[in-house]
Amino acid sequence: MTKKVFLFGYGRHARSIAYNLLHDGFRLTIIESDESNYNQAKEDGYTDVMYFDVTKDEHLEALIAAPEDRMICMMDDEHLNVFLTLSLRPLFPECHILAISGSIYASQKLLMAGANKVIDLYEVSANRIHNLLKRPVSTRFLDRILSDENGINFREIIIPEDSFLDGMMVDDVNFHACGVLLLGLVDLEKGEHFIFITSGESHKLDSGDRIVCLGMDEDLDHFEEMIKNSEEATCVWPS
Amino acid sequence: MQWLREWILKTAKRLNRSTRYKRSKKFFDGILNDPDNPYKKYVDLMMMFFIISSVGILVYEVRNPVPEWMDIYDIYLVSLVFLIEYLLRLWVHTDLFKLIVEASKRAHILQIDFSLKKPVAKSLKETFNFMMTPAMIVDFLAILPAYREIRILRVFVLFRVFKLLRYTRSLTQFVEVLRNKRFELITLLFLLMFVVVTAGIAIYVFEEHINPEINTLFDAIYWALITITTVGYGDISPVTHEGRTISMIVIVAGIAMISFVTSVIVSAFSEKLIQLKEGRIIEQINKSEEFLLICGYGQMTKMFMRQRDDDDHQYVILEKDKEKYSQAIKDGYYALREDASRHDTLMKFNIEHARITILCLLNSDIENIYISLNAKSISHHIRVIARASDPSMVQKFKRAGADHIVLPNSVANKMLQTAITRPQLYKAAHAILTGKDVAVFDEIRIYPDDPLVGKQLKDINFKQLRLLLMAIEKADDREFLFNPSGETVLKSGDVLVLMGYRIGLDYFKEFYHESLR
Repeated sequence: MTKKVFLFGYGRHARSIAYNLLHDGFRLTIIESDESNYNQAKEDGYTDVMYFDVTKDEHLEALIAAPEDRMICMMDDEHLNVFLTLSLRPLFPECHILAISGSIYASQKLLMAGANKVIDLYEVSANRIHNLLKRPVSTRFLDRILSDENGINFREIIIPEDSFLDGMMVDDVNFHACGVLLLGLVDLEKGEHFIFITSGESHKLDSGDRIVCLGMDEDLDHFEEMIKNSEEATCVWPS
Repeated sequence: MQWLREWILKTAKRLNRSTRYKRSKKFFDGILNDPDNPYKKYVDLMMMFFIISSVGILVYEVRNPVPEWMDIYDIYLVSLVFLIEYLLRLWVHTDLFKLIVEASKRAHILQIDFSLKKPVAKSLKETFNFMMTPAMIVDFLAILPAYREIRILRVFVLFRVFKLLRYTRSLTQFVEVLRNKRFELITLLFLLMFVVVTAGIAIYVFEEHINPEINTLFDAIYWALITITTVGYGDISPVTHEGRTISMIVIVAGIAMISFVTSVIVSAFSEKLIQLKEGRIIEQINKSEEFLLICGYGQMTKMFMRQRDDDDHQYVILEKDKEKYSQAIKDGYYALREDASRHDTLMKFNIEHARITILCLLNSDIENIYISLNAKSISHHIRVIARASDPSMVQKFKRAGADHIVLPNSVANKMLQTAITRPQLYKAAHAILTGKDVAVFDEIRIYPDDPLVGKQLKDINFKQLRLLLMAIEKADDREFLFNPSGETVLKSGDVLVLMGYRIGLDYFKEFYHESLR
């Protein structure tokens, strides 16, 4: 079953995001309290569009959301967005709430209001301009990774049970020989958070750990297949 | 006389054609008059040295006997330099030969007799008008002290101080400000003269016989001026009731007038101040080889400025909205209240010699496109990075010539997708995309004389510096070699794309790279 996403707001920024989410195969519910935006969503062909005043809790309570569902708050009005995030938090404590901030002062407030993640439109764009100015080549490289077109991609791989990787130190694995680049990992011994490989600590891999690799799709496929085996020597440094 | 005229005309024609003559004239014009000329600064400094030393000698001379060499220096050398400067200024101001050649051409076309009289008269008139400008009069008077026979001419050394005005910008601007308020100041001056003369005559009439201090009309007028300016030496003071009444009136009028003059000057300055400041900013930035023009001071610019490091390029913010402009100033940034979509605005900058990047960060696509077009129409060398609100706009921006187009939504989209579909990866993507300290992307360019040239990748210890080599942009085809093998040999022109800690990257640059260059 595909995951469900509640998109609050269908304004300027939300339109393209809704479009992309639909293409990624999410079941989308759009909620608007502005009539013209609501009509716009209808016009753009979304079927599951609701129109009510998001400041009223009784309307929000009526939403049926499973714990794994996600909510994206991106109302045009910054104040409303913070208020909405604040109202949603206690109503759906299990749900993942993402907020898009269109103003540099709102990001902190959205976090305080209980959003799990806040994406600041201006922060990422401004950083991109800095990168264009200072590091044009790396930016081009990053664009290619993110554009999905040329096959280089991020992939998150969970180390399966009985993999030969289980119990090995990260430094002893020659990811390079497999054509993949290890970017970082979630080491369950150290907690749930993502650790960049460049942080320098050596980690022991266990089954269940997640590793994040960068590579060509076919190499990644191959690698993923390979680590399911319990015996494999090609990816280990000859000692 | 016929042969003389012919000869002059011939000489004039020859000189008018000669590039060497023109070049030397242009050179002197540059060092004397063009503020952007690189040598003008040194000429100015030299002139200021002459002036100050000359005035210094004048002061020293009052109490001490002057050695002969100083006298010679002051009389001959300094005056000679000033004289040469004066003559050069006259020379570069008018072009007699051009006028002669033009007149002869006209005569030729109209089939009339060519006469030297007209062009010579015209050039003399121009020269005379030029000589009568205040700056030139000061220059002329500054030469005079060379003639020692008349003692009073020594005072003209002081005109050399006025000459300083020419060579210091702030003083010129001060005079400029006062000139703008010429009308008010002259009116006040006449009013002052009227009051002083009237009061002077009145006191003369009332007290000439009674007051022993007042003997002539000059004394009376002197008293009136000293009183009205509230200086009040007290060497002459009225003794009769009539005289004291006049004093009281004069004092009140004086206070009013002084405050009036002060307010006129202050208001002139506050009007001019912004303009002066902006002029300074533009001048400053035009000196750098590479700079940014940031259009608009909205959310995007604020964020951009917040992420900026101090060692980044020079910048100036262009904002036409008054409120946003004052906000930028209040936030401590260099900003100009200018409309970047106007041709004149961009022409103020050093378009020809500096590498300029324009960031169009306004909220409106229409304005951003217009600014991009404006910049590209002025010069193709200007790099334009524009913000677009919608993917459908990208094509338009490309047609307008923008070099890079930033879509805030598309970057956010990517992150949103990651956050929903691959939450564990989100932090990685977020850190990379927002440039957080743990995972900075950077690049290192290999130069021809670089010690890294010819090295194999496995010889470089990236791991120790906690760097991750992601790819190499090859010099030959500008293609990316992803995850290159250890046997790859580095060539000049390659660019390494690395990821790691900021400090690791800086260290690598410093240690492996720049220190060995």
